[in-house]
Parts: sequence; C-alpha cells; structure tokens
Amino acid sequence: MQGRASPDVPGIAAATVFAIASQIIGAAFLYLILRVDGGWQVVGLLALLGLGFYLLERLPWIADYALASFARVPLVAMITAAVIVLAFPFFVGSNTYILHLLIVAELYAVLALALNFQLGSANIPNFATGASYGIGAYVSALLAINFGVSFWLTLPVAALAATLFGFIIGIPSMRTRDTYLALVTIAFGVVVQQLLNNFSWTGGPNGLVGIPAPSLFGHSFADPLVIFGWKLPSQANFYYLSAALVVVAIVTAHRLHGSRIGLAWNALRADEIAAKAQGINVAWFKVLAFAVDAFLAAFAGTIYAFYVSYISPDNFTFLVSVTIMTMVIVGGMDNIFGVIVGAFLLTILPEKLRAFADYRLLFFGVVIIGFLMIRPQGLFPQRMRRYGGEP
Amino acid sequence: MAELLVQQLVNWITLGCIYALLAIGFSLIFGVLNVIHFSHGDVAMTAPFITLALAQALATALGASGPAWLVLAVPVAVLAVGLIGVLLDKVVIRRFRDAPAMMALVATVALGIVIRELIRHLYPQGSNPHAFPRLVSGMAFEISGVAISWFALLVVVLTVALVAMLFVFLRMTPLGLRIRAASEDRVVARMMGIRDARVFRATFFIASAIGAIAGLLFASYAGVTRFDFGVMAGLLGFSAAVIGGLGSMPGAILGGLIIAGIEVLAQTFVPDGASYRLVFVFLLVIAVLIFRPAGLLGRTVMEKV
Repeated sequence: MQGRASPDVPGIAAATVFAIASQIIGAAFLYLILRVDGGWQVVGLLALLGLGFYLLERLPWIADYALASFARVPLVAMITAAVIVLAFPFFVGSNTYILHLLIVAELYAVLALALNFQLGSANIPNFATGASYGIGAYVSALLAINFGVSFWLTLPVAALAATLFGFIIGIPSMRTRDTYLALVTIAFGVVVQQLLNNFSWTGGPNGLVGIPAPSLFGHSFADPLVIFGWKLPSQANFYYLSAALVVVAIVTAHRLHGSRIGLAWNALRADEIAAKAQGINVAWFKVLAFAVDAFLAAFAGTIYAFYVSYISPDNFTFLVSVTIMTMVIVGGMDNIFGVIVGAFLLTILPEKLRAFADYRLLFFGVVIIGFLMIRPQGLFPQRMRRYGGEP
Repeated sequence: MAELLVQQLVNWITLGCIYALLAIGFSLIFGVLNVIHFSHGDVAMTAPFITLALAQALATALGASGPAWLVLAVPVAVLAVGLIGVLLDKVVIRRFRDAPAMMALVATVALGIVIRELIRHLYPQGSNPHAFPRLVSGMAFEISGVAISWFALLVVVLTVALVAMLFVFLRMTPLGLRIRAASEDRVVARMMGIRDARVFRATFFIASAIGAIAGLLFASYAGVTRFDFGVMAGLLGFSAAVIGGLGSMPGAILGGLIIAGIEVLAQTFVPDGASYRLVFVFLLVIAVLIFRPAGLLGRTVMEKV
C-alpha cells in the first residue's frame, strides 16, 4: 500500500473471506435499516453505524486491511458486489417502498458522483447540479410526451442538453471563484427552477404528467419483472436500470480519476497557480468539470422522470443541490466509495426518520451539522494518490 | 405615468433599503470571519415571529390588545435575535472559520433548515402564513399625487440612521477599530492583542440585530410572514452583498438597491414580470459577476505565490 511494503498484506484466502464477508455484512446492514420502521430500532442501528465509524477512526488499520484485501482479490470482490446488487430485490420481495428508496438512493449516488468531479476532485463549488438534473428530466420528458421519442433515445439527447448547460455555467467559473462562484451557480440553479416554474410549455408549477414507461426488447418497465419464475414488482426494472447507471458512473469516475484529467483536477484543487505554472489549462478543466457533472446528472434526471412518470419544478430546487453537496461532503470528498455511502445514508436517513414524523427535517439538519463538526473530512476521507507500482 | 413612476420609485427605495440592511449583515460577518453565514436570512426572519409571540403574550398577560404591545415587543425581539446570532456563532459557525469555504456554506445552509423547522414547531401553527401588521400606518405626505406612507419613510430613515450609526461605530469606537482590524487580518489582529472572541461576539450581535430589523421591515412590507421566508430573504440579501462586493459596506447598500431596482423594474415594465422577477434578479447577478468577478465595489485581490 502506498509505496511502502506493509507487513500485513493478507493472504489470498484471508482476503477472499474478508472481501465476501464484509460486503455481505454491509448488504445485510442496509437490508436491516431498510426493513425496520420502529423509531428506536432505527436509532439502535444508527448507533451501531456510529460505533462502526468510531472503530474505523480509532483503529485505522481496519481500513488499510480492507483496502489491501480488496486490492488482493479484485475479481472476487467485484463478483460478490455484483451478486449482492443483483440478488437484493429478491430478498426485498414485494416491498415496493424499499425498492423505491433504493432507486432514489441509486439516482442520488449518481448525482453525488457527478458532483464529486467538481467539489471533490477540483474543489469547485456547484449549487446547480439540481438544475442539470432537472434539465435532463424535463428534456427527456418533453421529448417523450410531445414527440413520442423512446426512452433510450432521450437519454443521450437530455445528456447533451444538460452538458451544454454545464458549459454555460462553466464560463463564469473562469473568472469567479469560491463564494462568488458559489453564488453564480446558485443563481443559475434558481433561474432554471424559476423558468421551469413559469413557462407554460413545461407545465408551470404543475409539472409534466404521464411520462410513458420505457420498454426494452418488448418488455415494458411498467410490468412486473419475471426472472426464473420469480416475480418482482415493476420497480425492480428501474432498480436494475439505476444500478447499471451507478456502475457506469463508478467506472467513469474511476477512469477519470486515474487519467490526466483527474490528475489535472486534483492539481487545481491543491493550488491553482501552481497548476497553471505546470501548463495545465485551468479554464478548460474547470469548464470540463461542470460539463461532466451536468452530463451524468442528466442521466439520473432522465431515469427519475421515466420512473416516477411525473415531474414538477419542486423536484429540482436549490435544496436538492444542497442535499447533493451534503452527500459528497458527508461521504468524503473525492472518495468514490464514500460518496456512494453518503448518498445512500442521506437518502435513507430522512425516510427512516419519518418515525419522528414532523421533526425529521429538524433532525436531518442537526445530523448534518453534527457530521460536519465531528468529522469534517467526511466518513471516508480521500486517500493519497498511488503512483506507479501495485502492492 | 408620473404617478406610476413615483410610486415605483418609492417601492424601489423601500425594498432596496430592506435588502441593503440584510446585505450588511452578510458582508459584516464575511469580513470578519471569512464565512458565509447562509442562515442569516433565517435568523433575520425569526424576528417577526418573536415579535408576534411577545405581543401576543403581553396582550394575554396584561389584557387589552393593541398596537402598543407590538411597539414594545419590537426592540425586545431585535435584542433577542442579536443574542441568537451570538449563540449560533458560538455553537456552530465559529468552528468553521478555518474550514474550507464550502463546508461552512453547507453547514450554515443546514443551520437554516434547523432554524426554519424550529420556528415551524415552536410557533403555534407555524406552517401557516401569519399576518404581520405595518409597524406604522397612514400616509405621511404627497408627491405629485402619490401618497407616501409613513412606513416607507420609516424604512428610509431607519436605514440611514442604522448605516450612519454603523459607520460611526466602525470608524470611531475602539471596538469598531478592533472589528476592522480583525476583518483586515485576523492573525495580525491577534498578535496586536485583539481578542477575537469578543470581536466575533460583537460582529454577530450587530449583524443579527440589523438583520432582525430588516426581517421586521420585510414582514411588515409584505404584510405577512411565514417560517420559510428566510430562504428568499437570505438569497436576496446574500446576492446583494456579493454583487456589491463582500466585506464592503457601501457595496452592500449599492447591491441592495440594485437587486430591489431590477425586481421593481421587472414587476412594473415586463408583462407577467412578477412571476419572472427572480429570473431577472439572478440573471443580473450572473452578469455582474461575469464582468466584475469580485463584485462592484469589492477589492480584486491579485493572488500571488
């Protein structure tokens, strides 16, 4: 790990066992927290989670060991992850609410990964991810409703439209920075949301209704999914679709992180002037970060629109952008795994806090502030870049 | 036409003064702590609720409801909001002064959620809008056929007085000097023996109390208040402070007047402008920041290695 020969590289067998067991435990925990609905059980599980992070904090070798074992048997780890993701709906069964939560969490994971390119890798604030998400949703929904374009064709079109928007927001980013840039992105977000709210062809505050369900090879996504005689509710279609999108986002993030682009973004984060002196085209990479963010966010927006089949400007407010930012910060900036955990946690937590009925937003705010104060570097802080040789 | 013009001019100045007072709070806090206190708008909008609750309590305790209680409740509410600001600084905001800027921004946005939810839960029927009376009513005088209300006059006089007081305070008192020193360079100020805890306390008290006055005027201008008005008040005040140039008092006032100006212009001259007014406001914000990236009166800091 990290260039030094660590004495505790796990053996193949130990690594395999660890990689499989840890993922199953993680999945079981997710399953439990989705299943329980009593207020105190949620509190208990959260306390358990807190204990886990406390242990991670106290005993950093656990994280090192985990990373080392995953790196030792990457194939096993990936296959386990794939099996868990594929099998999860079978355990959930006919509980559509849990599937719904999972889909929303997956879409937010994509959004958080999208924002992570900017906020995490390059440390550029962007409060307009919600707007890109909305543009993706509206463009694809309008195409499908007015022109009967199929879902699979609206995906790239929506992504292109949002990318264009990303470039437009990116332009002021060449000149402004920090707080001023944050305000520019807030302003873009508010303008988009207000326009969606006021134009008549976007349905105004009522939004768009009746977005047709997509279909693939003759199978409509509105129908239940039947696999080997198992009948899964129709939400399972979207669950797998969003899971595929998460995989695409992870691969994109991973490849970009390893490429010169990711390196350039990290250089921007570390020191803009030094980056410029190294010959990095600062303006271009900043704008590129905005464009990539908008591109991925539009994918999530499209799936969201077709999944709920009803969108309104209220789904894409400033607070949505703030939530996405919080996911990245709470999860851990520039850490792909952390960002996904952050997205899942912050999607599921408010839902579970419904047990506290009216007080859940209050709770949510307090939890976020607490997180930022106690663990400002996020749940999973970013790791040092590894240059060169594998361990 | 002339009547309309004068009427809109009065609206513009009234609204501009309110935004300017909000912007001053953002600017003051940013100047000293280098932190965007995004929940400042929410803090400000607690003032109308505290006033209403106090007036209600006084009326039930002493009988005989009347506007007198409101007048009595206002200064108490302003003081209380000032103390709330100090408390929030001590408990939350101060901890983020050395953190990355985005962290403070997100933390204070979350703080805004907490404040809004607290209002909603603590105030009876807090989810509903509550009528807020004009602090003063009636017409003062006429200009070319347009009656100027006492309220508009009050807003302008109060703003001018507050700004003048703030100016005198910052320029001519020892504490004001310390605040300016800390705003210039916190580390050096500390080396000169300035206790920054006191400076922060004073800054937050002043900023929040001024914000409270702005919040009361805002609710009074709208005639109504609701737990989530703080979001818009905060966004508009923040925008005013930023396009004026963060940390600059004249900039905050200028920014407030500009934001109010575009809002009134959009409402008056653009068909259906009322529903598009935020679009115009924020397009202007973007345009200003493209051409003046540090705001209109902000200092452009050349970054050196």
